[in-house]
Amino acid sequence: MPNATPDPVTLAVLENRFRAVVEEMGEALLRTATSQILNSSRDFSIALCDARARLVAQADHIPVHVGAMPFAAQAVLDAFPGQMRPGDTFLLNDPWHGGSHLPDLTIVLPVFDGPRRDSDPRPAAPDHRDGNVDPDLVFLCVVRAHQSDIGGATHGGYNPSATEIWQEGIRIPPIRLGEGDTLREDLVAMLALNTRIARDFRGDLMAMWGAARLGAKRLQALLASHGAATLAAATDAILDLAEAHARRIIGGWEDGTWQGVALLDDDGHGAEDIAIRATVTKRGDSLTVDLTDSDPQTLGFVNSSWPNTVSAVRMALAYLLDPEVAKNDGAFRPLTVLAREGTVVRAAPGAAVTLCTSHCSNEIVEAVVKALAAACPDRAMGGWGRRFRIAIQGEDPRRPGRRFVWHLFHARPGGGGHAQGDGWSGVGEWHSAGGLKFGSVEMAEARFPLFFRRHEFLPGSAGDGQFRGGLGGELELVVETSGPARANTAGDGARHGAAGMLGGQDGAPHRYTLIPRQGTPRDLRTKETGVQLAPGDVIHVRSGGGGGWGDPARREPAARAADAAEGVV
Amino acid sequence: MRAPYRIGCDVGGTFTDVVCIGADGETLLAKAATTPDDQSRGVLDGLGVLAGMLGLPLPDLLAATERLVHGTTVATNALLERRTARIGLLTTEGHRDVIEMREGLKPERYDLRLPPPAPLVPRRLRLPLRERLRADGAVAVALDPASLEAAIAALRAEQVQGVAICLLHAWRDPSHEQAAGAAIAAALPGTYVTLSSDVLPQIKEFERFSTTVVNAAVGPIVAGYLGRLETRLAEAGLRAPLFVILSHGGVAPVAEAARLAAGTALSGPAGGVAAGLALARAGLGADLVTFDVGGTSTDVALISGGEAALGRGRMVGGERIALESLDIVTLGAGGGSLAHVGAGGMMRVGPRSAGAVPGPACYGAGGTEPAVTDANLVLGYLDPARFLGGRRVLDLAAAEAAVARLGATLGLGMLACAAGIHALANVAMADGIRVATVRRGVDPRGFCLLAFGGAAGLHASAVARDLGMRRVAVPLLAAGLSAWGMLQTDLRYEVARSLVGAAGLPEEPALRALFAELEASARARMAEWMDGEPAIRRSADLRYGEQVFEVGVPLDGVDWPAPGLPAALAEAFHARHEALFTYALRGEEVVLVTARVAAIGRLPSLPAPAQVAGEPAAPVATRRAFVAGALRDLPVFAFTELAPGQQVPGPAIVESDTTTVLLLPGDVAHLDARGWLEVAVEEG
Repeated sequence: MPNATPDPVTLAVLENRFRAVVEEMGEALLRTATSQILNSSRDFSIALCDARARLVAQADHIPVHVGAMPFAAQAVLDAFPGQMRPGDTFLLNDPWHGGSHLPDLTIVLPVFDGPRRDSDPRPAAPDHRDGNVDPDLVFLCVVRAHQSDIGGATHGGYNPSATEIWQEGIRIPPIRLGEGDTLREDLVAMLALNTRIARDFRGDLMAMWGAARLGAKRLQALLASHGAATLAAATDAILDLAEAHARRIIGGWEDGTWQGVALLDDDGHGAEDIAIRATVTKRGDSLTVDLTDSDPQTLGFVNSSWPNTVSAVRMALAYLLDPEVAKNDGAFRPLTVLAREGTVVRAAPGAAVTLCTSHCSNEIVEAVVKALAAACPDRAMGGWGRRFRIAIQGEDPRRPGRRFVWHLFHARPGGGGHAQGDGWSGVGEWHSAGGLKFGSVEMAEARFPLFFRRHEFLPGSAGDGQFRGGLGGELELVVETSGPARANTAGDGARHGAAGMLGGQDGAPHRYTLIPRQGTPRDLRTKETGVQLAPGDVIHVRSGGGGGWGDPARREPAARAADAAEGVV
Repeated sequence: MRAPYRIGCDVGGTFTDVVCIGADGETLLAKAATTPDDQSRGVLDGLGVLAGMLGLPLPDLLAATERLVHGTTVATNALLERRTARIGLLTTEGHRDVIEMREGLKPERYDLRLPPPAPLVPRRLRLPLRERLRADGAVAVALDPASLEAAIAALRAEQVQGVAICLLHAWRDPSHEQAAGAAIAAALPGTYVTLSSDVLPQIKEFERFSTTVVNAAVGPIVAGYLGRLETRLAEAGLRAPLFVILSHGGVAPVAEAARLAAGTALSGPAGGVAAGLALARAGLGADLVTFDVGGTSTDVALISGGEAALGRGRMVGGERIALESLDIVTLGAGGGSLAHVGAGGMMRVGPRSAGAVPGPACYGAGGTEPAVTDANLVLGYLDPARFLGGRRVLDLAAAEAAVARLGATLGLGMLACAAGIHALANVAMADGIRVATVRRGVDPRGFCLLAFGGAAGLHASAVARDLGMRRVAVPLLAAGLSAWGMLQTDLRYEVARSLVGAAGLPEEPALRALFAELEASARARMAEWMDGEPAIRRSADLRYGEQVFEVGVPLDGVDWPAPGLPAALAEAFHARHEALFTYALRGEEVVLVTARVAAIGRLPSLPAPAQVAGEPAAPVATRRAFVAGALRDLPVFAFTELAPGQQVPGPAIVESDTTTVLLLPGDVAHLDARGWLEVAVEEG
């Protein structure tokens, strides 16, 4: 039943409304979540998909989530063909069933046209058009949030020792977590039992469910006022406009085929210089990103799941388009992504993948941007930083008997330079692009036995160029625990810095050094468990700067003079 | 109007509004053009217009004035236009980049080519002091005089106008900051010096440093401006004190506004919220959404249970100001917002604005793109001959041409395009209010929409309908309501102190001592400003053990003298958490982060205007306007001629010299004798 495109005003109204709905869902989740990773670091995303799992609207949260969310919607449609009912709630996290990596839980809530029939669940009526889709299903509200713990062998979700996914946490294929507007307590209890902080898990799950239900409520109101046919026609038109917008921009780029390569340091299990190879072909207003030649999958957890790889490529495209392009299914239609199973960008079922939303996502983005730098030089930017996390556990002498876990978010790496100017300093990595926040040093010192002797930008860390990268950070962190403490690391980029673009130089790589109070300093590796710490030890973090853009010889003398005066080189 | 007079003066982007209330309650509104280069000239011009309306020489008017309250946008404009003072920052060695790091956050997630903002202090003027306190206040490194000497020499060489001194953990012990401040005051006399331990003595260095740096950056400018204004007013004959309305909605003497200049960043819109609070008290109802539609933006605030929410997360011009301030949400949609076809091919309204110059196409000053005001004119909602009481004649043909041009690119006729622009502006406003209310856990449907500012009356009914709000109120003084509101608010002084380190809540004696100390300091300050007993309001920022965000908890309901104060605080927090987030964790440890005390010095309340009884007014004209999809002849009523209680059914237009109200079919309006038009909105 083709519908006439709504008039421009109705269309604009509905486009605003869809965006307002996802933004409101995001606000609700931020306000109600219980774990620090959600309510402070904001590691969650919201999407609205239509009944064909097409991304209609998203709120600007974490870029690496966004292109992957439709996979979750599709996985639920595939698992429950024609079997969804009003009041149902679905949940998943498994990377081979619509997820990206296990710590990201995703709730999918269907929205139906017509009055609710809670007491009269409809029979599973197969759709006469394609046999799969309930004819009354209109939207899917998708809420994804990173959990502070998801079970598995180590606390906090990141296990550098893992060589298979079963060591990384509990796997959840699409399940019907609730029906009749109620969650199944037996399932919630089973999941909570498999995580270390059941209270956070339950609180965050309620917050996610609440956000999804709020979205459904707003969409029901829109259905009542405009009707399903108008909303469907508006959805088509919104996606088509975004597609046309993206194609207009891509069409302005030079045709050709280019290769971009980005390297990971290692997988923590012996593989080194793991290559992501992107062959990008641009013809007319379409792009093909072929990752087939990337290195074989690794034993360690830097492998990417397929949804995460597609999302990383979409993220790269989104960065190269104008920021105004609506990030929906239409905008990504000009893009085809190819990869071979068994490679690091499309790991076979069962592989360890937890680091993939950081690594190799960051390298996938970088390889694609490098390849396209020739096609759209004024849009390509120098590389953004890599992620290198540390988690410290120990005991605070001021709070005897209570153990703490502290996650490093300070001393963020730099962003890349670009044709319009120098990069941002200390705003982080490709995959979050300034969307993650570090906490107050004063608060951290008050709450944890840590002393931040220095926390500043790191002069000289940026990649030089006509426009230089942003600066990385420097942190001298003194451990003041009451006794021995332990640290884990998870990350990459200690050998390969953020890439310079179009003649710009690479940013400095990360260098994290452990300076024991007694003994010899040593550099920390990016994938270590059980690092022994003692009171008085210093962790000296020097995080990488962003990559430069363009030939350094063309940098304005005034800019060099300003850099010197500002003490950043 | 009888003396003595009380005068409120609000400087807007285009007009300076002066409202005068006489001893008999009579109220007058005078307008003059704003003078952006020195706002004090526009203020004097406005006072001159007012004197003319009263038939008095200006010196006589000022001599008979007993209070003058001023709202200024000097600090706001300096921040928005990046014309701040040349300043230096003295900070703890090893931590000089706090204000530029911005906690690692960057706006506009998908704009990786966005230029980073220039910090208010360049890095070379962020000078390290060798010193360090620990989290418990212990001195880890004593203040090194040589590093202070070196910093002073650098500041002298750069001829800075202001200095911010921001040291880690200084909220706990200000002595290093005070020593540095004294040394600078001695070495660089005339320099504006401000300490983080004075501006915002609470934990979290980014908020405290950023606020203090903003204070240094606007302080010299605000202090200079207010000094000039005070001098001009004194020369013109004013003998009464000049007060300034601050971002928290209370007023303070000029010296305090100059000391805490960052606290004037919302001085402009604060008057509108103060007006909302006054109208709530006057009987409009305890739950209001203030809806102030100006030329380039719309300010929205919530009044719930007769109270305006305060927050500390304010950004102005990209700079964080963590002082207590009214929770005003600014939307990029106003009468000057321009309609266009966005890059994606979608019809858009705003955020670009025609501004005051050239203004909408109908101003005839060269604007060619259609603004919301152009659409409203094309739709017949405005009378081209009577805009602003006839002070500006609108060019209908220019508006029609601009709207028709846009319509042609979208395949829309002129009227349909104008109706679309109007509808999209309504949607932007309604969505903004929805986010502003729902984000705070408030369902707007039980609220009354208080519409004021030049253009709110044309959008209020449609916006209310969209939100499911059943009541709209438009004050007769809509166009000058902010200035009026400044006369309805009280003196206010805020003081706060953090208390972090020890787990949980302090023991009862320590808790009482903390609040008592704050109260004493607030009372002492208020005693300098006025005679009489101030009201004391206490609140606290509390959180559960492992949380990172505190919740501000008003403690007015706590029985203060009763024993068991820590438990009472904890219970107040549980209840607040439950109300906000649907649950409380009563078994969990409760942590006090910051204690707050506000002293409020009540100013004498002003007489209300006398009721005017009269015959129901007949329409003064008929106007052809496009409403609900069709052109209709609408009756036009003169706002000032309506009799109290007179009912006006929609569709209709009610207008005065300075505001126009569009009533939609199904609406029923009546004039409330207390000075506002109340509209019962048909259920949407």
